Amino acid sequence: MPMYQGNSCTAEHAIQNGEVDPAVKALEARQDEIMKKLYDLKAAVEGLAKTVTTPDADLDLTVSSSLSSQSPSSTTFKGISDLDTLLGKDLGALRDIVINANPAQPPLTLLVLHSVLCQRYRVLSTVHVHSSVTSVPPQLLSCLGPRHADSYARQMFQLGFTLIWKDVPKLQMKFSVQNMCPIEGEANVARFLFKLLSPYPSDPALATLVDSWVDTAFFQLAEGSAKERATVLRALNSALSRNPWLAGPEFSLADIACYCCVLQSGSASSTPTNVQRWIKSCENLGHFSPAKLFLQ
Amino acid sequence: GVAVGGEGGGEGKGLSCGLTPNSQPKGRLCFLWQKKSFEVINCVCLCLCEPDRVLVRVQDLTPENADQLIWLRARVHTSRAKGKQCFLVLRQQQFNVQALVAVGDRASKQMVKFAANITKESIVDVEALVRKVEQKIESCSQQDVELHIERIFVISQAEPRLPLQLEDAVRPDGEGEEGMEMWKCLSVCGCVFILPKTTTSQAIFRLQSGVCQLFRETLTKKGFVEIQTPKIISAASEGGANVFTVSYFKTSAYLAQSPQLYKQMCICADFDKVFCVGPVFRAEDSNTHRHLTEFVGLDIEMAFSYHYHEVIDSITDTMVQIFKGLRDNFQTEIQTVNKQYPSEPFKFLEPTLRLEYTEALAMLHEAGVEMGDEDDLSTPNEKLLGRLVKEKYDTDFYVLDKYPLAVRPFYTMPDPNNPKYSNSYDMFMRGEEILSGAQRVHDAQMLTDRAIHHQIDLEKIKAYIDSFRYGAPPHGGGGIGLERVCMLYLGLHNVRQTSMFPRDPKRLTP
Repeated sequence: MPMYQGNSCTAEHAIQNGEVDPAVKALEARQDEIMKKLYDLKAAVEGLAKTVTTPDADLDLTVSSSLSSQSPSSTTFKGISDLDTLLGKDLGALRDIVINANPAQPPLTLLVLHSVLCQRYRVLSTVHVHSSVTSVPPQLLSCLGPRHADSYARQMFQLGFTLIWKDVPKLQMKFSVQNMCPIEGEANVARFLFKLLSPYPSDPALATLVDSWVDTAFFQLAEGSAKERATVLRALNSALSRNPWLAGPEFSLADIACYCCVLQSGSASSTPTNVQRWIKSCENLGHFSPAKLFLQ
Repeated sequence: GVAVGGEGGGEGKGLSCGLTPNSQPKGRLCFLWQKKSFEVINCVCLCLCEPDRVLVRVQDLTPENADQLIWLRARVHTSRAKGKQCFLVLRQQQFNVQALVAVGDRASKQMVKFAANITKESIVDVEALVRKVEQKIESCSQQDVELHIERIFVISQAEPRLPLQLEDAVRPDGEGEEGMEMWKCLSVCGCVFILPKTTTSQAIFRLQSGVCQLFRETLTKKGFVEIQTPKIISAASEGGANVFTVSYFKTSAYLAQSPQLYKQMCICADFDKVFCVGPVFRAEDSNTHRHLTEFVGLDIEMAFSYHYHEVIDSITDTMVQIFKGLRDNFQTEIQTVNKQYPSEPFKFLEPTLRLEYTEALAMLHEAGVEMGDEDDLSTPNEKLLGRLVKEKYDTDFYVLDKYPLAVRPFYTMPDPNNPKYSNSYDMFMRGEEILSGAQRVHDAQMLTDRAIHHQIDLEKIKAYIDSFRYGAPPHGGGGIGLERVCMLYLGLHNVRQTSMFPRDPKRLTP
């Protein structure tokens, strides 16, 4: 507490006769340093705790990611992907991915993949409502997050992600209308988007396994009867007893798809042990927060 | 007393319209009977108003009115005698109902003959019993009832030979050219007044009225003020090539090409957000499907806080509200027009799709069209772009932002980040341009520089530049043509179809 009212008097420095006591100053500096070390240590311990339960997460990045919990690790997706190689030469204009989805069946996997894409690339995200639909609930309008500050300058972005809520029988994606026919079905669009982040495993058997789990997720877990869902959960449990992730040691699209479909089917709490553990690992990675937020 | 006069036969027998001199209803002034050379006994009633009589609307006739005795006024659409009966179809705007005069205790043989001889399009008053019908009458809008006429009066008779048959006017045309032919023919014989009577025209102009009303309503809700701007002006605002000159006492004046100058002056006068609805005169000698020399302009101008996109958002939101209002409240009209002129329903996105000029160039390039990056879009390229956008985004309405500076008027604000481009935009419906707008230059010095660059005589625009010398807020706006917007919304192909009394280089009347 200052003893006199001075001009540039701050509560941090004891002032005597207009001078700052250097000893007090040094003491305060040491205090600041110790506090900072304590915070760092706390973050490191939290990170380690997550690592113990989550295989395959990179140690250093998990630590740094707990310091800023908004940016989960994106190097979980290994492999170098370059947009020009994947999507063709940049013609100097925004490469816009258009997704037409029915508001009655919001595509959770695509929301998750969108948030991962946003970490990897500069993505301009917009949501529109098509005239074939009279109105949609507000969470469908904000599902891609807040508007980017630079969204008035479209060409500054590498990729466009335009989600249109429309009365369509099946989810549909359009990208390059001259060269590509539309892609239909959430599973297929998810495969396309995933490949912009990381290639499929090079081993054909493993790649097929990933695809097989993606199909199982969308056809049997999401759309199947209670009996079918129970069968799938048992299969998940058995697969996860041998491996940390569904397609072996690496996190893949199979895990994203199955997690979202389990969450959407509402049976997340009543799953077998291995599946519970795997759900926790998925959540530790942090990619799925958009999905969880959306379902609230 | 009643003047039952007239020459020759026919009078006194006056049962042809179900009345005798003794049975006249109260309030009628007199009857005039005349025998015409073609044997129709004409009954022209000059009547005082019947304050207690309720006239039922044709569109309200349903089986619920069965067995009620009602009065209604309508036009005779058709009349056909068959032995002891006469079948009529009575029409009110786009609704019609079958009616029947049959010999019985309420109607005589002469009355049936009278009814059969009433010329088409004549306006009649009928008193009739509403009867439910067993089999639906497919050819009428009111399919479940028919009227059994007890009394019928001719209020206003039409000449027997019409210049155009109404059925011909509502038949779906062939290709675009045929449509133009019909319009040319109509204007020559000056009988365009026939067209608005058809059900299709009724629907088109009702929808147009809706567009105007939604425009005003939406903008008023957003806090805009409606202003009126002068149409007789002293200087041609946009360059001078396409203005009509009028003699003005000892000098001459011009008819306004757009309310641009005055809208901006209102913004400088701190009205903040204004709009105006009024005629626009363009002396362009273009004979195309989408140009008129006089049309109704709906113009907007507003000051913005930080970015001219606020203006774009305001305009596009207004358009979307108009489209939604039409989609939700004018389906009957849209379906009626579609019967004669089939087209795809109008689709749009909310919020409106906004693409940048460079994206358009890339899309066109991908489709095989080469364009320089400072070139303007030609009409065929605009149409192609519209199709490409429709294919990818499934919308008939979008905004193209950041046009090249070189192709815009001198008062357009350049893009601060790229001198080749400007803060200007066009909006398209079904691939055709409906609005050209921009952020305006609000600094007098910059405006002067731009005018010099465009080699414009500064003397001619001195008043315009002066209005920005005393603190003008940054602002922007744009304007649409009512007729063109209606034409494109409904998927029609000629703007004359949406202009009740069109004006073009070859047409000045009616």
